[in-house]
Amino acid sequence: MTTTLARKKSESSRGVSQWALAWRRLKKNKVAIAGLGVVGLFALFAAFDGWPFVLTRNDHGLFAIYPPECIPPACAGGSLSTNAPPSLSHPFGTDSYGYDVYSEIVYGTRAAFVIGLGATGFALAIAVSIGLAAGYFGGWLDNLLMRLTEVFLVIPFFLLLLVFLQIIIKFSPSATGGLWLVVFIIGAFSWPGAARIIRGEVLRVREFEYIAASRQIGASANRILFRHLFPNVLHIIIVLATLQIAASVLTEAAVSFLGFGAPNSYTWGQLMNIAASYINQAWWAITFPAIFLTLFVMGFNLLGNGLRDALDPRLRE
Amino acid sequence: MSVLKYVLRRSLYLIPVFFGITLLVFTIERLAGDPVQLYTTLNPHINEAQRQALRHYLGLDQPIQNQYFTWLSELFTLNLGYSYSSGLVSTLLAQKVWATLELQLIGLALSLVIAIPIGIQSARKRYSLLDVTITNSSLIGTSIPVFFLGVAFILIFGYYLHWFPSGGFQSTIPSQYPYGNVVLDQLWHLVLPSAVYALALLAPVVLLVRSSMLEVLRQDFILAARASGLNERTVIYKHALRNALIPIVTYVGLYFGGLLAGAPVTETVFNWPGIGAQFVVSTTQLDFPVIQAIVVLITLMTLIANLITDVTYAYIDPRIRLE
Amino acid sequence: MYTDPILRVEGLRTHFYTFAGVVKAVDGVGLYVNKGETLGLVGESGSGKTVTAQSIMRIVPTPGKIVEGTIEFKGKDLLGLTEAEMRQIRGKEIAYVPQDPTTTLDPVYTVGDQLTEVIMKHQHVSKRYALNKAIELLRSVEIADPHIRINQYPHELSGGTKQRIAIARALSCEPSLILADEPTTALDVTIQAQILDLLKALKEKFNIAMVLITHDMGIVADTCDRVTVFYAGQVCETGTAEQVFEKPKHPYTEALLSSVPSLALRKQKLSVIPGNVPNLIQPPSGCRFHPRCSYAKQVCVDKDPELESIGDGRLVHCHRWKELDLKSAVAS
Repeated sequence: MTTTLARKKSESSRGVSQWALAWRRLKKNKVAIAGLGVVGLFALFAAFDGWPFVLTRNDHGLFAIYPPECIPPACAGGSLSTNAPPSLSHPFGTDSYGYDVYSEIVYGTRAAFVIGLGATGFALAIAVSIGLAAGYFGGWLDNLLMRLTEVFLVIPFFLLLLVFLQIIIKFSPSATGGLWLVVFIIGAFSWPGAARIIRGEVLRVREFEYIAASRQIGASANRILFRHLFPNVLHIIIVLATLQIAASVLTEAAVSFLGFGAPNSYTWGQLMNIAASYINQAWWAITFPAIFLTLFVMGFNLLGNGLRDALDPRLRE
Repeated sequence: MSVLKYVLRRSLYLIPVFFGITLLVFTIERLAGDPVQLYTTLNPHINEAQRQALRHYLGLDQPIQNQYFTWLSELFTLNLGYSYSSGLVSTLLAQKVWATLELQLIGLALSLVIAIPIGIQSARKRYSLLDVTITNSSLIGTSIPVFFLGVAFILIFGYYLHWFPSGGFQSTIPSQYPYGNVVLDQLWHLVLPSAVYALALLAPVVLLVRSSMLEVLRQDFILAARASGLNERTVIYKHALRNALIPIVTYVGLYFGGLLAGAPVTETVFNWPGIGAQFVVSTTQLDFPVIQAIVVLITLMTLIANLITDVTYAYIDPRIRLE
Repeated sequence: MYTDPILRVEGLRTHFYTFAGVVKAVDGVGLYVNKGETLGLVGESGSGKTVTAQSIMRIVPTPGKIVEGTIEFKGKDLLGLTEAEMRQIRGKEIAYVPQDPTTTLDPVYTVGDQLTEVIMKHQHVSKRYALNKAIELLRSVEIADPHIRINQYPHELSGGTKQRIAIARALSCEPSLILADEPTTALDVTIQAQILDLLKALKEKFNIAMVLITHDMGIVADTCDRVTVFYAGQVCETGTAEQVFEKPKHPYTEALLSSVPSLALRKQKLSVIPGNVPNLIQPPSGCRFHPRCSYAKQVCVDKDPELESIGDGRLVHCHRWKELDLKSAVAS
């Protein structure tokens, strides 16, 4: 009886880090793990050119071309391979240009990551700076920044996005250059919501006693900001980042679908835009990109929601 | 304080915000460059002298702050200026504003009417098969892009099943009206777009209602209400729901602003003659007066939606009125 | 003193079916309350006192379920009633005053709204009548300016006032039994005394039986006629306050009494019951107190004792009660 008691005591006194605890909680959330799995698969997809579903070219027709090219005889003027339905050689069919839809989708995965990570990185860089500054320093700075944020929040940024893009794309249509511009603009408009949330977290964490204690010992504002506040708001930043990746990709898809996207950037939205006019003849050309888009966004959304529950400092249940 | 005073206070607050936005819109637009240049760049027949004349005509050679104030004062007299291509902006937009509002509001109402009961049931029967199904489908639903949903619906219900028209506001030929009735015809056209709209908002609202209800149902006063012998119906709909609505109202208000901004997409997909679709067209043409006007209009609508949200919020929760 | 029980509970088992396992929160509880008397339920947090009270009223929150037992109120078996019949009893015959006054009132409705809805539900009277009745009730719980308070919202009132209102709500339909769950724990010490006095006065005036849940032995000594000691979801012993305080029959009660700090014991070290509160998903075998009991023997590890009636209205849940001669640290 005493030995079991003793063993139980020592187990509970061994400390477990917050991150390990959070990971354990995350693992229990099956939906979130599914999201993580989806994200992982897409990452592999993008990094390894469609692995594990790459088909290699051979003379009997099985192939996936990467990056997409026009497959004769379509390019030679014939219409044999344009808008071809799914088959062994083209698992998702071909679109109106004769490109293999599957390889276009794979290429689009890379674009999706570029958009997601780029826009989110940019947006969060702004949001974190503003949120931290407003939350920590308070006073007139806080007021000013928050008013600014509110103005930004009310603006229908999607509309301005379209205007910007129309102007800029018209004058600088190079492929990746165009995409980065889109990324930049989406990021530039996505920071307000995140900034507000981060500021809220900073306000909450700021009141913790050990922050006040540090201040009393004489720690400089910088030190407090970086060593104490930031790690504590890190959890919310991670959640916001994940969700923002999904949102950015979705936004770019909407923009491209309307025809304002960066030309030749092969994002899924672009694919859908091109395929939209042929929807009656070739439903596969628009449907498969849409499915992949949905899966991508869903993966990040589920993961983000799961992270939010796992990292919740209030440790519910 | 009373709800009315709270409303007045919040409305006052909106004014500087509105000015801030007009300033921002104006700045962004001008940053894009000289409108005349942009508009006429591809037209080889216009020479510089003509461009200058055009600039003068449009008042673009005035100092920038004058331009801004002129524009503002015109706004207030509801003079939205002249489109570069389609005449008076106000006539162009008048009908379309109604079309957009109709779609937005009906979509919103439909979505709430369906989502709230579903969310409540899901919360009441937590962990049941019903709940799990609803929660998971909603999680998936939050990720489906609206425009794809729209396109899919048009394909399925419009082209293949022929149940509903695949777009537009009204049939072009009166003989196509169902039962020869114009109103019915409009309603018939309204079904698909508003269904898609409602569905887009449905998933996140269901999830929110559910989690908000779960939060509230855990509270002591719910237990106390049951302990007083009140009907389950009273407990849920009178006490729990009203408390649960608080975060829901906030969220729907915010989300609605986003949805409004997404009007270009839905309206384009459904060929719905609203200001969203017009915006896409005008942006392609870089028709700035129209662009400006639409942005301001939509912002105004968003601001009003926010105000209504605030008012509703204050009405539901007496604690807010203290602030 | 075993006069006329208005409430009798036997063999009650209420379990919570959670993801982590089945929490046996109440596992074999028996108690009784006589007409007009105050029964104290004492025990540590998590010992099952609140769940017992909730079970009596059948408002145990999910995932809890009453698995087994008898609950007899005024001769009726409550567990056999339909939900509709139960609703006639809740708030009208048996009333519940929850623990935390800051959260027992709905924040979005006025005090008046919340009182009148209960009155109108049970008494089928007009709103005006109910409102007047509510004002009267507020007066009877010693709230000043009741006609103003009636239109105020909970967040505008102090904790003590809110608790009085909760009590008023419980009394509104003249119940025969009140279950008061730690009514003073969340309040300031000075207000605590006032509320307890109020409860005592109201009890006398209307001859209401009361079950008072608390973890404070001082309150038990002051307000309760009889007391039931809880541990880990089971009853340890029951008796009159005097009986239990002077001559405890269960080791846990003895330990509890000796851990009460008192000026008389100034020279001795503050004693603490060794060990931890047991895990209710996998409770200890046999008698649940055995890991922490200084008198435990092998039979205590093997077999769960019966809740025996040992005469004089006392009940004890211990194998060794006959042999043990327990001392009370607070005996006069």
